Formats: sequence, structure tokens, C-alpha cells
Amino acid sequence: MNQPVLRAEISQLAELSNVVAQLETILLGKRQQIELAVACLIANGHLLIEDVPGVGKTTLAQGLSATLGLPWNRLQFTSDLLPADVIGVSVFNTSTHSFDFKQGPVFTSVLLADEINRAPPKAQSALLEAMEERQVSLDGETYKLDDEFFVIATQNPTDQLGAYPLPESQLDRFLVSIALGYPDSDEERTLLKSGDRRQSIQSLEPVAGPLQIKHWSQAAARLHVSDTVIDYIQALLNESRLGDNGLSPRAGLSLVRLCKAFAYLNGQDHVTADDVQHVFPALAGHRLTGQVKSGAIAAQALLNNVTAP
Amino acid sequence: MIGFLSKKQIKTRTELRARSFDAMAVMILLAQLPHVFHLPIWISVFGAGVVAIKWWNVHHPNNLKLNWVLSSRAAVVLGLLGGVLIKLHFGYFIGRDPCVAFLFLLLGCKFAEARRQSDATTLMCLSGFLLLTQYLYSQSILSALLTIPAVMSLGVALSILNEHSTRSLSNHARLVGRLLIQGAPIAALLFIVFPRLPGPLWSLPEDATATTGLSDSMSPGEIGNLSQSDEVAFRVDFEGTPPDARDLYWRGPVMSNFDGSNWSINKLQADGAIETSNTTADLGNDNSKSISYTVTLQPHNKKWLFALEQASSLPSTGESNAGKFSLNPEIRADKQILSNKPITNIVQYKQSSLMLDRYTPSTRPSAIDLILTGKNSRTAAFADKLFSKHETPMAFAMAVLSWFNTQPYSYTLQPTLLGDSPIDEFMFDTQNGFCGHYASAFVVMMRAVGIPARIVTGYQGGEMNDDYMIVRQSEAHAWAEVFIDGQWIRFDPTAAVAPSRVDYGLAASLPEGEPVPRLARAGNGWIKRASLRWDRVNHGWQRMVVDFNNESQSKFWKKLGAPNPQLWQITIALLALAAAWCMWVLRPSRSAMAPVTEDQKFWRAYSQYLDKLGVSRLPAETGAQLTKRASIELSEHSELIARIGLAFSKIKFEPISNKRKSAIRVQLKRDLKKLASIARRAKTQQIALQTLQGKSSATS
Repeated sequence: MNQPVLRAEISQLAELSNVVAQLETILLGKRQQIELAVACLIANGHLLIEDVPGVGKTTLAQGLSATLGLPWNRLQFTSDLLPADVIGVSVFNTSTHSFDFKQGPVFTSVLLADEINRAPPKAQSALLEAMEERQVSLDGETYKLDDEFFVIATQNPTDQLGAYPLPESQLDRFLVSIALGYPDSDEERTLLKSGDRRQSIQSLEPVAGPLQIKHWSQAAARLHVSDTVIDYIQALLNESRLGDNGLSPRAGLSLVRLCKAFAYLNGQDHVTADDVQHVFPALAGHRLTGQVKSGAIAAQALLNNVTAP
Repeated sequence: MIGFLSKKQIKTRTELRARSFDAMAVMILLAQLPHVFHLPIWISVFGAGVVAIKWWNVHHPNNLKLNWVLSSRAAVVLGLLGGVLIKLHFGYFIGRDPCVAFLFLLLGCKFAEARRQSDATTLMCLSGFLLLTQYLYSQSILSALLTIPAVMSLGVALSILNEHSTRSLSNHARLVGRLLIQGAPIAALLFIVFPRLPGPLWSLPEDATATTGLSDSMSPGEIGNLSQSDEVAFRVDFEGTPPDARDLYWRGPVMSNFDGSNWSINKLQADGAIETSNTTADLGNDNSKSISYTVTLQPHNKKWLFALEQASSLPSTGESNAGKFSLNPEIRADKQILSNKPITNIVQYKQSSLMLDRYTPSTRPSAIDLILTGKNSRTAAFADKLFSKHETPMAFAMAVLSWFNTQPYSYTLQPTLLGDSPIDEFMFDTQNGFCGHYASAFVVMMRAVGIPARIVTGYQGGEMNDDYMIVRQSEAHAWAEVFIDGQWIRFDPTAAVAPSRVDYGLAASLPEGEPVPRLARAGNGWIKRASLRWDRVNHGWQRMVVDFNNESQSKFWKKLGAPNPQLWQITIALLALAAAWCMWVLRPSRSAMAPVTEDQKFWRAYSQYLDKLGVSRLPAETGAQLTKRASIELSEHSELIARIGLAFSKIKFEPISNKRKSAIRVQLKRDLKKLASIARRAKTQQIALQTLQGKSSATS
């Protein structure tokens, strides 16, 4: 328990920073969001992106899977989407006279679930079940998903028409929520000059593989979390419970996990209060208000109310 | 995480949330509530209705028509319309009632167009102001109590408006309640010691408000109407034992003018040719009983002040008030006491009287005291006949009294209506009436035989409520005064008909089955007891709180043993007391006083030294952030600060052995000492710099 990260792992860390660096070449000026996305992946969590179309949600998902050498699928959620469209369907095979399971798009490593709040709750919950259990049950059979099953869901701002907002219990399944936001003017200028980055995704070389991801996860989980940090996290949880939507113990556990992953990503062998402050809005935002942007504001305000160590 | 906030988001933060609107709607409605009792109904409905519609609209924002109605432009139109309607309703605009009504409406209109935080701030101030204006109408305990929920909701709205994260309502209420309670002692302190303006803060150009009370003319039946009123006319605190009920004649307006049915005040006398003050001389009667008391008079919109017969001094509102604010009272030749302006606020004055039923005027009675119209000829003839049987005016007066007593006259609050020659009809036909009838008939008979006489109106009696006396409108009375042997002598013919009216009060003297004002009823019903208790509370409130003026203040100082403190002394005492209270309120809580670890001590010392060096720690700042900021701002010591910061983060966060931790602590202690000396030096330098600057500016 709590063994410091070994020096031998420094090379691993270098590869991890290569992942971030490579992603930065295709998604300009979004280092913070990229770091959070990678930390989320290391912490075995799922990522929720809320933003308007065209700011690079798909690019991030594609880039992530290409850089990590993982297969990926994209699933567009629509208002007539059925659970079978998500997890797959059993088809009768006339030659063998039996049912064959035809895998749905969830059988992949990285699943980009686009506009998840456009689908009715039934289809949503099919995906969310797969996210939680990392397995799919159909007709009495259980099908395991990839170990590195990682969902990047995008969500339109809920004030848009035709959106079924995700209930709080399902939002809780997402470890991290971020908003990509528009690029800064300098970066946008570079983007406009150099053209669309999507072609360059094809040319991305994988920097790591599934094995390494597993290794990173395990290493991150071993990071030291001092009592000071635990005290601070508890103070934050208590402060959030003064309001209407308090953070659950599960959210607290997730926060510790994410802090570790983030600290590991930055090459530390322990979690500091700064790490907590850094990841807290992304973790607590959607849990506090059910929305990403207003949630991040609320979470930041909550941070300001608590004395940091 | 500023990266998450775009400009647009920052803008939306200044827009009001539905929760803020809820809080403000409640606040405004509560601030409006006390005014509903005196405003015209349509204004209440208009002003509160706009608020309610806006509130509904906040929660149903898709109603486009309403959105238009609640736009800024529409609000301006609504406000102007309201102004015009108010002007039409009242007929004037500059005055208490229309202005308060206008403010009432404007508050609603402002709420209708509210969008942003700044609007909310304006609304808070306006609500507070509207809340204050209700004291222009009433300063009773009830109205003070009515403001409490409004003040509370104002605080809650303020708290909700400034919350960083959504907190529960009870959380806000608790916070506001605690703040209010913590603030209350300071408010009380300020109330007592803050230098007072002489005179009430609330006096305004009066509006035409109807108040019950005596009027400047009287027809025989009139006082009967007044007698149905339980309203308090004034309250009296006696010094020493109060006199007997039968001696309590509170002298009010004196009426000499007579037109055959109505009595009125002599205008000539009322306007000028008045004997003022120095009345003790002509009353210099020695063996009579002198009595002192304080009258708390309810506003009645007339100039007269009431005193027991016969007043031996001018009413005084207190030495310190003289010249600045006073009633400027005067005593007229007919012994009426007048203030120089109508009584529109509750006033308190000290008064002393000699308990006499007669006095010697300095001037002869005028012809007005003999006026008789030809109307009541039967009475005049009867008086002539009766007078011929008696030798002296005194004997005649006594004869008239015994006539009332022996003939079948009855005392009633519901007399038969009288026609053209009311005295004749009363004397010989109806033979029932109220004090006004008997006094009128008596004076007419006196005048008919050439004895000057006149009507005196006022109050007779009063009810003791523990240590003070309440005199109600139902105690209104009229009696007669006759000029005999150079003296005006009081005769109360009512006493001849119904002696119990004077001895035991109104209820005892009325025949069975007559309607009696509720509180004048004899006996000890619980309603009456409760009502008396409530009156005592109100009187105490009036004495202790509302009438707390600069005189009571100087009394308070005297009691404390520090008469006439200077303003600066008061200020210092006030600041010291307030500071002491604040220190007590903000005293470190028990959890903060819990034993601290060595690390915590180090950490506190670190933030204190940095604070002295001008880098104050922000509440949500982590140690690393503070260290970074400090090493940038105090670049000459950046190395030391960075070392300290690193030591802290090692102790706090890193997985290191206890042995290494103590080694770090040793080094940390050394570094903190260095920082302490730097901080000290910086402070002395600063002081030296200041004195240097002070000297150079002094020499230049």
C-alpha cells in the first residue's frame, strides 16, 4: 500500500506525457481538458462533454483512441434509438437453427456516444448499464466488454430543443465532465490557417497500448493520499451537503481516484491540495447542478468557500 | 478553473436566478403588507398584483404576451399611469399618503422589470425604505412586529442573492437570524445613546386625517356619538395618588357662542386677545390640593391640550426641549390650553392643577356669555319664573339642579331627536338626554335671567390601569360654567340627573338595555381585562420606545452618573461597547481553540508573517499557491519562502517517514524564524518611513 512510484516507472510517465502532447497537436489549446480526459481514462472513469457542436468533441475521442491504439466506435443518439441499437441484437441463424448474438457498437474500447441526451431514457439506460457493469446481458447471456471500455459521451446544453436531460443518478456514472469551449483567438487563427485536423488523426501513431493503460491505472491507484488531503476532501463534501444536491460518498471516492490519476499524470507520487482544486470542478460540476457549465461555476464557488490546506 | 468560464457565462452570472426572484417577491410582498391596512384597495391590488404577475412569469417564462407587459418600457408606463391615478385619487401629490402610495406602486414596477443583480440591490433599498414609511402612519408595537418578517425576508433575499452555491432556505434563515440577533444589542445601544434630535423624527406636513375627538362646536346630542367610541383620548401618569373620579374634569374647548341649537367656540377669543401664562397668581388659592401629572395625548388634529380643572401651570414638554421643539402652549382667558399647532403626533406634557371647581378670571365675562336667541322662549319664561322665587344667582342655580333631579328627566345615550327649538323640546316634551342636553338647558336658563354662563366640553373620569389612567373618547363630557360673584363656577347638571355618571362612569348611569361602549362596561370580563393589559403594554411602548427623546436620554445619562456627556465621549463609549460586543460574538469557537498540532502552529505563523509582509492569504488558497504568490511578490526572499513552502507541502502531502518529517520540521522552524525577523524588520522600516514622511511634511 501507498508505495512511492518507482524510478523505473519514469519511462512510463514519459509515455503518458507523450499522449498528452500528441493530443495537443490535434486539439489546439485545450491542454487542461486533455489532461482531465486522460486522467479520467487512467482512473477508469467515463467522460461527459457538454458543448455545442463543432468544437472538437469527436476529434478528442478519435485522437484519444488513435493515440492509445484502441479501437473505437461512434454512436449517434437519436430520439428513435432502441437499446438493441446500442448493445446489439440476437439474430436467428437459419443454417445453425440458433440465435447468434450480433454485437452492437458498445463492443469496443472507446465509444463516442454523441448527443446522449437526444435519446429517450430507455436507450440511455442501456448504455449506462454497460458503463457501470462493463458487461451486457441479453437473453440470459452475459457478454463481457473490453477492460479498457471507455465512454466519451457528448451532451447538448439542456436548454436546446428535443433533449432528454440525464437524471442525477445517471450523471453520477460519469467521472468527469468538461466543456471544451471555443478556442482562444490565437489558436483558432492557427487552426484556420492550417486546415481541419481530422486528416492528421489518421496519421497519428499509437504511443501506448491497452497493457500500458492497465499499468498506469494500477500505478495511479497506489499513489499516496495524505490525511491533510482527506480532511480537505471531507470539508468539500460537507460544504456541498449544505446545498440541495450534496456530493455522495461515491462521488468522494471518485474524487480521490481522479486526484490520484491526475497527480500520476503530472509525475507526482502523492496528491496535493492543488490537485484536488484542479480536478474538483470537473468532477463535481455535473453532480451539483446536473449541467456542466453552471455546475463548474457552482463547484468553483464551493471551492472558494472552503479553506484550503 | 477560470478556463471554464467564458465571457457569456460571466454575464449570465449577473442575471438573476429564479430562486432570487422568489426571495425578492416574498420580501417585497412582506414590505408592502403593512401598508395594505391604510392604502386605498386599488393601490394595494395594483402594487402587489404586479409583483405576483412577475413572480408567476418568472416560473412560466414562455408566455410571450406577459414578457412584453413586463418589459422595462411597460414598467415605466405603468409607473406613470400609477402616478396619474394617485394624483386623481387623492387630489394632491406632495403629501404623505400619495407619496407612500406611489412608492408602493413603484416597488412593484421595479420588480416587474428586474433582470440583473443591480436591479435586486435597488429593490432591497426600496423595500427597506417602504418598510420605514409605515412608521409615518403608526408607531405601535403591532406595526413594529409587522416589520420583523419583512426585515427577516430582506436579509434572506440578500443572503440568497450573494450565495455562491445553492444552500437550503433554512440555512439562509438561520444565518440571517443569527446576524440579526448579533446586531440587536448594537442597535439597542445606538437607540439609547445616539444623540437625539429634539422632536419626533416622523412629523410631516399633515394630511387631512379623520380622528375622533371633541370638535369645536357642539349640539346637545353630539357627545352621545363620541361616547360609543373605545378609542383612547389620552393617558395620564399621576405623581402621587390620583384624585377621586368625581373630581376628574378634563377641561377642553369652552363654548360661549349659541345659535339656538348649537354651541361653538367664540372665534374672537379663539383668535386673539388672550391672557397667557402666569396663571398661578390668579389662582393663588392656598388650601386647595395641587396635583402634578403627565399627559400622553393621542393626536386629534386640534390645537387644544387637556388638563384637570384648574390648570395651575403651562404644559411643559421638558426643559431641554424649550425653544427647539415645544408645544408653545398658552392658557386663554377662558382657561383653555392651546398648543400653537394642531396635535398630529402623540405628545407628552407635564401639567399641574389645583383641584378646584372655580376660578377668578382677570377679565370680565363678555356679552357673548349672555347671548340667547329667541328660539327657546318657553325655557326662558320658565327660568324667569323660577328666578323670581330665589334671591341669589347661586340659589337659583341650585334650584335648577334640583329641578332636573326631581322632575322625571332621564339620562340616555339614545335621546329623542329634537327639532327647531331643541332646548324647549328637551325641557318640557322629551325630557331625556345626554350630558350635552342638560348642560345646554342649564346654560340657557342661566343666561335667560342674565347670569353669564357657558358650556365647557372635555372629558370626565378615567379608568386606572395599574399605575396610570386611561381616558377614552367614551368619557367625553359637557358641563356648564356660571359666573357668580366674580368667579367662574363649575356646575354639572348631568350629575344632578345621573349622579353615578360622575361617580362611577358611563356604564353605571345608563338604564338597562342601552348600548354601552364595550370597554366602558362595568365588571371585569376577560375581554376588558385583556384589553386593559394590552393597553398597558402599548402605553409602556409609547413611554419607553416611541417617546424616547433627548430628555429621556439626558435622564438616562444622569442615572448613569455622567450628566451631559460630550459627543466625543459618547462616540468613544459607543465604539468601545460595540467593539467589545463584536469581539465576544467573533470570539474563537471551541473547535478553533482545540489544541493545535505543531504543524498547524507553523502554518499559522507562516501565514501571519506573510500577512505582515503584505501578502495576505486568501481563504481558498492552497499552500502551494500562497507560496508561489509570495515568492513572486517578495522576490528578494523568494528562496527562503520557496524552501518553507516546499517543507510544508512535504509534511502535508508526501509519503515520508516520521523521522524525515521531524528533520524537515527542524529546518522549517529555523526558516520560519528568519521569516519572522524579516517581517519585524519590514514593520520597523515601515514605521520609520512613516515618521520620516510625517517629519518631512511637518517641516515643509
